[in-house]
Parts: sequence; structure tokens; C-alpha cells
Amino acid sequence: MRYVTRKVVLFVLTFWAALTLNFALPRLMPGSPLDAALGNLQANGVQVTNAMRDAMAAQLGGAEGNWLSQYFSYLGNTLRLNFGTSFSFPTQTVSHTILQALPWTVCLVGVTTIIAFVLGTLLGVYAGWRRGTAADSTVTLGATLFSAFPPFWFGMLLLYVFAFKFQIFASQGGYSPGLTPNLSLSFLSDAVQHSILPAVTLTVTSLSGWVFGMRNNMINTLGEDYVTFAEANGLRSRTIALLYAARNAMLPNITAFGLSLGAVVGGSVLVEGIFGYPGLGNLLYIAVLNHDYPLMQALFLVITVSMLVTIFVVDLLYVRFDPRVRREVIA
Amino acid sequence: MRSLHRHTAAATAVAAAVALVVSGCAGSGKAAQSAESASSGAAGSSPGSGASPAASGSGSASGASAGGVKQGGTLTIQGDSGNPTLVENFNPLVPTELGGTRLIYEPLAIASTVDGTFTQFLAASQKFTSPTTLEFTLRDGVKWSDGKPFSAADVTFTFDLLKKYPALDTTGVWTQLSKVESKGNIVTATFKAPNVPFESTVAQVPIVPEHLWSSGLPADPSKFANTKPVGTGPFTLSSFAPTSYTLTKNADYWNAANIAPSQVDYPAQSSNQSTNQLNVASGKFDWSYNFLPNVQQTYISRGANRSYWFPPGGTIGLFLNLTKEPYNDPNFRQGISHLLDRDTIAKKAVNGYLGAASTTGLILPNLEKWLDPSIPDKGMITQDAKKAGDYFAKAGYTMSGGQLTKDGKQADLTITLPNNYSDWVAAANEVKAELSAGGINVTLDEPSAAQYTTKIQSGNFDGAFGGFGGTGVPYNDFNNALNSSFAAPIGTATVNNFERFKSPETDAALASLAAATDEAAQQAATNKIQQQMFTQLPIIPLYYGGSWGLFQTTHFTGWPSAEDPYTLPTPYNQMSLLVVSRLKAVG
Repeated sequence: MRYVTRKVVLFVLTFWAALTLNFALPRLMPGSPLDAALGNLQANGVQVTNAMRDAMAAQLGGAEGNWLSQYFSYLGNTLRLNFGTSFSFPTQTVSHTILQALPWTVCLVGVTTIIAFVLGTLLGVYAGWRRGTAADSTVTLGATLFSAFPPFWFGMLLLYVFAFKFQIFASQGGYSPGLTPNLSLSFLSDAVQHSILPAVTLTVTSLSGWVFGMRNNMINTLGEDYVTFAEANGLRSRTIALLYAARNAMLPNITAFGLSLGAVVGGSVLVEGIFGYPGLGNLLYIAVLNHDYPLMQALFLVITVSMLVTIFVVDLLYVRFDPRVRREVIA
Repeated sequence: MRSLHRHTAAATAVAAAVALVVSGCAGSGKAAQSAESASSGAAGSSPGSGASPAASGSGSASGASAGGVKQGGTLTIQGDSGNPTLVENFNPLVPTELGGTRLIYEPLAIASTVDGTFTQFLAASQKFTSPTTLEFTLRDGVKWSDGKPFSAADVTFTFDLLKKYPALDTTGVWTQLSKVESKGNIVTATFKAPNVPFESTVAQVPIVPEHLWSSGLPADPSKFANTKPVGTGPFTLSSFAPTSYTLTKNADYWNAANIAPSQVDYPAQSSNQSTNQLNVASGKFDWSYNFLPNVQQTYISRGANRSYWFPPGGTIGLFLNLTKEPYNDPNFRQGISHLLDRDTIAKKAVNGYLGAASTTGLILPNLEKWLDPSIPDKGMITQDAKKAGDYFAKAGYTMSGGQLTKDGKQADLTITLPNNYSDWVAAANEVKAELSAGGINVTLDEPSAAQYTTKIQSGNFDGAFGGFGGTGVPYNDFNNALNSSFAAPIGTATVNNFERFKSPETDAALASLAAATDEAAQQAATNKIQQQMFTQLPIIPLYYGGSWGLFQTTHFTGWPSAEDPYTLPTPYNQMSLLVVSRLKAVG
């Protein structure tokens, strides 16, 4: 029981610290929301005058009270899931804005993270098992090459070749202009079509990390006594590779996978930006650009919570994969 | 001031890379037209004269005019930035409205941003009956798109709304007006003090329907999304999706015979500036607005029936903090001005599409008719180290060992500018090089745009890049930039006159220009202000920021051009209504 209490107290403390940081960080940025809004309007071709400044100040609504009272009303509102109205999209609530963007990012970045993990891990297992062979060199060399591609550069390249030169895929957005998101088959296939280029970009550029991690772990594990023992027993090499070596070598990769799943909702700012994808990464960029405190706070909260939850889930999964941890929990 | 930004740093590096690819693929085409050939032949009444000018074309033509223009076809305009998606907002009284709103709601009249010439919309005409009384005569037979008649009550209702909710009064009409009343089809706006040039601001307030807006608005109408807009304008909203929206022609529009497009599409822009440029290059829009390097190869020669017009849309200048030594000394400012080679600065900043700016503060050639003939060379200052040295000597500075010094200390200047305005950054680097060669120790301070805004508005800078002008009305350009009433103390924010210029002569000239109703008096007052600019240099004009209009004439003609400069080619403000009213269908 003490174990659970300690975990809960720790969780609450972590959560409170995260909330406080979410409140403080946006406000530590130099420049105010009003100045950002004015700069934005000017950049959008509006003649900015003192009259405009006054009107915008009225529209943004001056923050009430000092920092401390703002902080406590922020804490209260957050617990009631009331995030208010964003400065960037004054006609929508923050929750609505985020819920609109969330599924896009979760699907795109989530699916590509899973694909990259599975593919990268398998390649790593293969390369590690066949270490020193031509196959290993090919995989390692290929992964090195792809890891050298910056995502934005690779994205721009794909965009230019496949969207403009050959016009096979759409150049921007999550779906064709004129469509409204729904769950019909035609819309979904349109959305998948739009997601291919960003998905390829994300997968290809994140693949190599998994490959290298897995290959190195494999090689370490293959040197262990129990692998030699298995070989001496004359087990089939595939059994040794997958059940003796890979299963153990995968543990660090699973931790990393959990963490990157948690980071999924943070979106991929650069890649979403390049493809004009309607996800959280783009939203985060807009929020920071506009000093949009309500939107930033809510986005950071979503990111924090999903991170905490995945860490918790990974902890649970670890028990399943690693018998040593199981013994500790029981003891 | 959109001219200043469209190629921001986030996209610049990649944009440059793609632009190279684009231009590399394009053949070298023959010049279709030259950006430099902009003529100054804009006819029209003086801004502020209030008359409905004959020159203003279809907008002022009566709806019953025989014939009308050839109709039909879809007009595609490069739309708003849809990042991450478009947000439904057709509230004409907030600055975050979607661009199409301006084709749905009409103002009383629109003043061209080139030279202030009026085109009449809901008002058939307007005139000043005294320098403080502006009378609008409304057009007869105008209907809202729901069939209800439009009347003077809608106009007074709209103005009252702005008065009641200061968050909606983004152009500050109630800083100048004392009341707006109606009698029959006459609406009278009364000013607190004479301000004839403010006519354009009053006339351009979009009018909303009283019968729909008088109840049911949210407590804060600046957050009203108005998803079912009902206006008097030539178009109505037919469909909205998060990536594009479509307007269809309002068949009952009072001037329907002269509106050519039957439909207007606004596809959203991407968050990726390079994608936008490639979309423009591949011809997806009839009208777009983008800075393109080497436009001849990247746009004109990549498709048939294309044209562009890049007129000046504002003056980019070096603003020195006039509350600080030695920047408060006009001789020091003149010295700096004469150290600069403005042609090179313009070439670096805007690819030579636009040139050096006149130190009169007027945008040339747009406002050439207001130029004071007694100022030599149209106020163009060329680089002259000797003259600069003379001015610096008057300010107490001498050259010693390659350094400009006074009392043994080198003159120094920190120039503040936002890091994402790539044309400003290019210009600032050139300015730094030229001033350094002149012995001044120059540092560039490049914070984020928001931080830059904070710094300049509070007066926390030595020197800063900034833009001014572009309203089409000399008084508004000068008043915003120079009126000492805006010169807040250091630490208090001001958008206008942030260099904090205080000159009784200039204020007096501005006041007489504000009250002048005849052109001779307006010219005399404008001359005085130009002389102040030329001799005092409260702002050191560098080059003109561009207005990047790109057109396809496949479906429609009648775009603004150097030959027919009826407005700046900006689709993102009310000028879009002016342009759409002028288009003719092809074929």
C-alpha cells in the first residue's frame, strides 16, 4: 500500500510542477500577446495604428489581477478542463481548436512512430544477427545515409518531386480543399492519400535511430553466456536470434518507444509545417508565434499528460517483458 | 505593410532552395512587362475632396448602366493562411476576418491605396459641408442578401456598434468623430475637430445589417464568428470547409451587371511558404500575392496569360530614437542619410523590383502629384561621403583613424529589426556595412517580431527599421508617422511616431492639412511637411516595400497595373472589392 501511496504522491507532485512550468514558460517569452498580435496584423497587411492597438487590447482582454491570482485561476480552470479562448482563434474555444487538430497528429505521427519502430527494430535484429556480413553493411550504411537527412530537407525534396514535378500526391493539407472532415470511406482515403508524403518523411528519417539501437543491443546480447549456451544446445538459429537475443536486446528500445509514443502528441512541428498538416505541431507553432498563452498552456498540458500516461504504461509493460522487474515488484 | 513580410525567415532558407530549383527548370522568357515602368498617371480627385470622381470606374457606375460587363467564370484568389486550418470568421468588424468577408460586406466608399481616389459603394456620393461635417448620400434600392432593404439606419447602427464596443473600432473612427446621424438617405458624420483626410477611414467602415446584428450578438462581439454572413456586397457565402471556401454572386447586387465572376474560390494557403510559391508558379490562382525572386522566370514564363505588378506599397526607413543623443541632432541624421547608397540597399532587399525612397516621405510614383517642386531631385539623396562629413562636422563629429568620433568617442548605433523580415535583414546588413565604412560602430539587434514590437513601441532602441505610409492619403501617412501627439514618453507604448518626433512646425502643417478642403491649401500644407521631412529627417527613408500582385488573365482581365494603377494589388484587404468590381470575363 505504501508503494502505491508513494507513486500517487509523486505523480501529483510531478503533475503540479508540470502545470506550474506550463504557466510560467509562455510568460517568460520576451514580448507580449498584444505586441505579437500587432506584429502579426502588420505582417498580414493591416495598417497598424494606435487605434488598432487600443482595439486589440480590448479584444484580447487584459489579464486580470497579478501573476499570483492569474496563476491560481489558471490552476482552477485547468482542473475543470476550462482552457478559455485562444488569442489566435478568437471565435473558438481552446478545447475545440485542440480537439480538431489532435486526431490528425495522433494518426500521422502515431502510426509512423509505430511503423518506424517495428521496421527499424526488425532491421536492427537482422543486421545484428548477421553482423559483419554484406547484409549488415547494407542496412547500416542505408540507415546512416537516411539518418543524415534532416526531416525538413527530405520533406521538401519529396514535396518537390512527388507533389509538383509528377503531381502524384497533394502538396498541402490533411485532405483536399472543399472537403469537411468526416468518417466516410471517400474522405478517409483522401486523408490517407494526403498523409503519405509526411508519413514517409517521418518514417524514413526516424528509422535509423531504431536500427542502430537494436543492432548494438543485439551484438551485446549475442556475446552473453546464455546465447553461447543456447548455441551449444544446438537450438535453431532463428530461435536463438528471436527468443534468446532479440527479446532481451529489445528492452532499451521499448523504453525509447514508450517515450517517443508519449512525444507523439507534441506533433512534429517542422514536418507538419512543411506539408501544411492540420495537426498539433502546426498549432503549437502558431501558439508560440502569437504568444497565445491559453493555447500554449493547454497544448503543453496535453503533451505532459500523454507523456506521464505513456511512462506509466511502459512501466507496466516492462513487467511483462523483463522477469527481473517482475521479481522486484513481487518482493 | 504586407509587402514587408511575405518571405519570412522560417521559410526563407528552404524557399531559396526551391526557388533555385524552380528558376532552374524554367526557360528564360521574354519580359511581359517591367516593374519599373509604373507610370504616375493616376487621375482622380484629391483625397479628401469628397467628390465622387468620374475616374473611379465601375464601382461608381450605376447598377442600371446599360450593358455591363461580360459575365461568368470562377475567380480563384490565393486565400487566407489556413494554419492548421481555416477558422470560420466572417465578422467584417474584426481584423481576423477571412478575406472573402470583404466581398460580402460593403463600406460606403473605398479610397485607393495608390492615391486615395474614391470608388463609391453604399454611398452614391459624399461631401464635406464644413471641415467637421461629412455628408454621405446613400445609394437607393440596395438590398441585404436576405432580401431586406438597406437603409441609413444600418449605417448609424454600425457606427453606434463601434462606439459601444471599442474592441470593434479597429480604425479608431470614434477617436475623431463626435456623432453619426441620419436623415432620410443622408448620413452625417460630425468630427470633433477638422480632419478632412479621415474621410477614407470613415467611408471604409463595413456596414452590417441592423435587423440581424441588433440582438443575439455574444457579449463580446469581437469574438462573433458570423458564420452565416448577410451583406450588401456582390457575393454571398455558399460553402465553407477548413481548407477552402466559396462565394457565389449575389444576383440582387445593385451593381450585378458589372460584376464578372459568378463564383470566387478562396483555397487556404499552406503553412509552408515554398508550397505557396510553387502553387503560385504552377498557376493555381487567378490572383495571388507573393514575393517571388526573379519573377520573370519563376512566374511569367511558366505559363500563358500571366502578368505581375509590383508597385511600392510603403516606405521602409531607418527610424532613429529622437529622444537620444546624438540621434536627436538633424545634422547627425543627415550625415547618416548621405552615407547610404539606397540603390544598393534596395537591390539587396527587394531584388531591385523597387528602388530608393524619396526623403520627402512620399511614396513615388504613387503620390507624385503631391511632390513639392522646390525640393531638388524629388528628394532622392545619393551617397556622398563629403556631404556626410560636412553634416557630421556640424554635429561635432570628426573622422580620425577611420572612426567617426566626438570627444574621443566613436559614434555608435544599434539597429533593431525583427529577425523574420528577410528583406529588412538584407537591407540592414547593407546599411551596417555602409555606415561602418563611414566610421560608425553599428550593431544589429534582431529579436523576434513580438519583441521588436515591444522595443520600438516603448522607445527602447537607438535605431530601428520600420515601415510607414501606404494609405494612399498623404495626411494619413504623415500624421501616423510624425504627429507629436503620438510621441509618448519613453516606456509608454505607441505604434505611431515611435521615433518620437516633436515639431511644432510639422504639427501646424498637419493641422492645416487636416482642415483644408481645397486642393491648393492641401498642396501648400503637404509641401511644408515634405520640407520638414527633407530637412529634419525624423525618419530616414531607405527604399520602397513592394506590393506583390501576380495575375492570370486566362479567365479575367482588368487587373491593376502600371498603366491602370487604380489600387494596390492586395487581395487581403478592402482593395479586393475594388479589384473584383473592375474585372471582365475573358472569352
